[in-house]
Amino acid sequence: MKVPYNWLRDYVEIPYSPEELANRLTMAGIEVEDIQIFAPLSDKIVAGKIEDLSLHPTSNKLQLVKVNAGDALLSVICGAWNIKKGDIVALALPGSVLPDGREIRIAEIKGISSEGMLCSAAELGLELNGAEEGILILDEECAPGTRLADVLFVNEPVLELELTPNRADCLGLLGVAREVAALTGKKIKLPESAVEETGRDIHELAEVQILETELCPRYTARVMEGFKIKPSPLNMQLRLLSAGIRSIYNLVDVTNYVMWETGFPMHAFDYDKLQKGRIIVRRAAPGEEIVTLDGIRRKLDPEVLVIADDRVPVGLAGVMGGENTEITTTTKRLLLEAACFNPMNIRMTARKMNLPSEASQRYEKGVDPEGPIFVQNRAVRLIQETAGGVICRGIIDNYPKPYSMPRIELRTSRVEKVLGYSVDRDEIEDILNRLGLNVRFRPAPAGLDAGSSPCRTSTGGVFSVEVPSFRRDLNIEEDLIEEIARLKGFDKIPVRLPVGVLTSGRLSKERKIMDKVKNTLVACGLQEIITFSFINPRFFDKLNLPAGDPLRNAVKIQNPLTEEQGVLRTTLVPGILQVMQYNFNRQIDNQLLFELGKVFIPPVGKEKLPVEKLMVALALSGKVPQYDWQVPPGTIDFYYLKGILEVLLENLGVNDYRWEQDNIPLLHPGRGSRLFVNNKETGFLGALHPEIAENNDLKQDIYLAELNLEVFFSAASLIPSFKQLPRFPSVYRDVAFVVPQSTRAGDILQEIKELGGVLLEDIKLFDVYSGKQVPEGRISIAFALTFRHSERTLKDEEIDNILGAIEKQLSQKYNAALRKI
Amino acid sequence: MRERIEKLKAKLAEDLKSTSDLKELENLRVRYLGKKGEITLLMRRMGEVSAEERPLLGKLLNELKKNAERSFVDKRGEFENKHSADRWEKERIDVTLPGRSFSIGGKHPVTLVLEEIEEIFTSMGFKIAEGPDVELDYYNFEALNMPREHPARDMQDSFYINPEVLLRTHTSPVEVRTMEAQAPELPVRIISPGKVYRRDDDVTHSPMFHQVEGLVVDRGITLADLKGTLLLFVREMFGKDREIRLRPSFFPFTEPSAEVDISCIVCNGKGCRVCGGTGWLEILGSGMSHPHVLRVSGYNPEEVTGYAFGMGVERIAMLKYGIEDIRLFYTNDLRMLSQC
Repeated sequence: MKVPYNWLRDYVEIPYSPEELANRLTMAGIEVEDIQIFAPLSDKIVAGKIEDLSLHPTSNKLQLVKVNAGDALLSVICGAWNIKKGDIVALALPGSVLPDGREIRIAEIKGISSEGMLCSAAELGLELNGAEEGILILDEECAPGTRLADVLFVNEPVLELELTPNRADCLGLLGVAREVAALTGKKIKLPESAVEETGRDIHELAEVQILETELCPRYTARVMEGFKIKPSPLNMQLRLLSAGIRSIYNLVDVTNYVMWETGFPMHAFDYDKLQKGRIIVRRAAPGEEIVTLDGIRRKLDPEVLVIADDRVPVGLAGVMGGENTEITTTTKRLLLEAACFNPMNIRMTARKMNLPSEASQRYEKGVDPEGPIFVQNRAVRLIQETAGGVICRGIIDNYPKPYSMPRIELRTSRVEKVLGYSVDRDEIEDILNRLGLNVRFRPAPAGLDAGSSPCRTSTGGVFSVEVPSFRRDLNIEEDLIEEIARLKGFDKIPVRLPVGVLTSGRLSKERKIMDKVKNTLVACGLQEIITFSFINPRFFDKLNLPAGDPLRNAVKIQNPLTEEQGVLRTTLVPGILQVMQYNFNRQIDNQLLFELGKVFIPPVGKEKLPVEKLMVALALSGKVPQYDWQVPPGTIDFYYLKGILEVLLENLGVNDYRWEQDNIPLLHPGRGSRLFVNNKETGFLGALHPEIAENNDLKQDIYLAELNLEVFFSAASLIPSFKQLPRFPSVYRDVAFVVPQSTRAGDILQEIKELGGVLLEDIKLFDVYSGKQVPEGRISIAFALTFRHSERTLKDEEIDNILGAIEKQLSQKYNAALRKI
Repeated sequence: MRERIEKLKAKLAEDLKSTSDLKELENLRVRYLGKKGEITLLMRRMGEVSAEERPLLGKLLNELKKNAERSFVDKRGEFENKHSADRWEKERIDVTLPGRSFSIGGKHPVTLVLEEIEEIFTSMGFKIAEGPDVELDYYNFEALNMPREHPARDMQDSFYINPEVLLRTHTSPVEVRTMEAQAPELPVRIISPGKVYRRDDDVTHSPMFHQVEGLVVDRGITLADLKGTLLLFVREMFGKDREIRLRPSFFPFTEPSAEVDISCIVCNGKGCRVCGGTGWLEILGSGMSHPHVLRVSGYNPEEVTGYAFGMGVERIAMLKYGIEDIRLFYTNDLRMLSQC
């Protein structure tokens, strides 16, 4: 909402500069976003009086003009012909700069010196109606030499309000003026609205019928005739322009002008185009159509409220008029509409038709139901002032359920309870009065104050507050309390901290586990990323997911911004791969990434909300360490990733887990494993399937893992349990077994663990070898074993016995042979 | 005898000079001072000396022995020092070579800021509460005093799954969910961090971003408590010199409502490009819980009051890290992330 400062001063005295006003309004909750000068004009553009005109001696397209610039008589060359002797015109003196940046200098035009330039409205940056061509001619009372900015009021500071949706009342200057009045204690000045009705009785000419009183609680109409349609007076055009409204011609300009004054939208119909002079407010019939003022044919349905004449719709109620009843230069009589419509219905129609307008914007937020009569009178008066004409007698006012002012009870004690400081009874009354609210005070009986604030019983009590129709955002006691705090200033709110029962802010176990996962992965060198929760459904194809794969079953967004954000993710893989690709494209070859986030699984049965599952995904590629002058770089592979997961499991205190090789959709068929924790499938890890890598233009080897974090919420144990420090020495033995190549190391490891029993304290696999020292088709796997007894020193024979048993078992079960090392 | 002493003294000096390592020195010591060493032997022969000469010669010989012993200790020290110095020199390394290449990862800047916010509030006794990203219209709007077609819904253009279900547009639904679960227990003291979604995409808007909601409900909670809590938070988060400014505003689920500005962290309130010359930065919205919200969540607004606030995490991260385009957070450019 644009508020021209000087225009606002028509309605209320403002004891502040524009900047101070902006600050005060902002601090009262009417945020002023910006102050702009409407159309800044150079001081050297002045009013000039034409003293003499003659043809240019060498060009018949130019005139030689003698202009009185106040303190000098200048000679100016001009190419326009709409001027005559005695006219007051816009004159740009040498040294001035036009709004488009052109600098005016003394110049020679076809041999004759021109000491300035006469300007058109457009050259001054003003989009005026009726002055599109030729030099701008000003009021003849302007003294030559006066700064044009002062004549046209174009150096007008315009405040741009950023209004909250509850303050629709400030979508009109009078509403803003009321707010200023509330801040200053001054009274507002309503603009002139007295009218002289000299025409025929309106009831002989027009008839209004509301068929949908829910959607149209009030409809008023006035009729005028005999006016003259022409461009509006310059000052009205300039005011509208400063508010950001283009001038059309007087009748339409007046409806806009009054809307800007009052916040109340109006519409003017060409009365003679209304069948039988009837206005019927009804729902559109199925299949009905209307061509709106913008020339677009629109299909209607019964949800749309229309203004119709006896036969067809002539306007979309509250949104836009119809072309069939448009005011044109030949219009003889007009019917003026000022009506109230249901905000929700207008909002819906404006959306459906994609037609947000100044009018619909106001109707959507609700207009003052008591406004129409004043608005009508103000408008017909202004039309008469600008276009002449006769006002028909009477107003049609169809208003089945008049507004009755609701009352809100405001307890003085409640003010303190909400704000945290007490406000004097008189001050409350003063503030409410300044807001234009009528109040009645009822003191509380001694000791029985409604809010039980014993020390204030002398002033405590209840205000009964009448809410006028222009502040229908005030509905409950708290709304009034906010008004009090607002006008006192929020800076008056004291600073305190809540007191009461102590509460613990400790993190939940789940949160601690999440933090631990992040911290562990960061310590392992991984960078956290965060990607959007929505993904492109086409990604499922790029991941080669088979038709029935559960990951394809994604929650669809009805109105995504782009198809790329069409569904909610069922896996974190697409996001993390996209980030990898982005960074590969920027020559970052080493990438160790993880993301912790939710995936979404469509609801089943009666559930309305999807299941949200917390996952963690890891993606690694490149070499580690990347640069080291001692350690050669190792390529990141399956085991690098697995090592990180093992560290993670260990850090989370998870002991019961296993890996199972499997053919997993996203992964290389020979290089993928599932992870089971407490026998529960928890996720997968492995090499990204080479074909999927190709689908996604990824040339690098990528290792991926995705785990369901929620499994750890029960499986993890964050409290370590300590064992006694050992009192007896341990015995170390290295052993190696030569086994057939196809043997799985994990099986051997598991076997040794089981046979080692309680005495086997630790086992580490430290070598896998195939080559000269072992027969063809076989490999050697070496283990470092630590044995210990908790209550005595172990004897060598005991260890030998265990190792013997291990060897025997492995040789039987796995065809293994002990290798001497 | 005297002559022999003098000779021995000179020889010892000569021998000491020509020894080159510890081993030779030890041999030499034995040769002079050992049980059969030359000085020892000489001392044994003192009996052969006449009584008149004995005091003087005895003195000389004792001096010789003492000096010899000292010389050997000194020489040994000298050799030991030299030996270490040689070793140290041999073992010298180039300390200017770079250290072993370790790489630690990092958290996303949004996580870092979230953790900081959480740390401040949990230390004040706020619990962390969470809610679903995909939310019922009821919790996202209706329970928060925004019935269908409420104009305030325009402030938050939403992604819908179906007419009843949408991606939450703010973390405020967690307020209602938390109170519903806890009522009538008091106090409620939570913050709720999480992702939120709005149909917007430009330099300052991302279709997904993060918010932290805060809610305190108890007997006797006032706007003054809200102001105090936020002032404390702001000073912890942005430094102890920060000031805050509350401006009246409108949110359907709070009444009264306030926008909270902090004195600009770049210019300290003098006015600069970052704060648009105002000296203030808008960082959060807040207010007293609307009676409707308390009521539908199971609390009696006549008995308890509450305050609520909500802040955008990216906005704070942008201010803290000097990032100008919100979309950078979700491009996940490693060159940017590694700086955080």
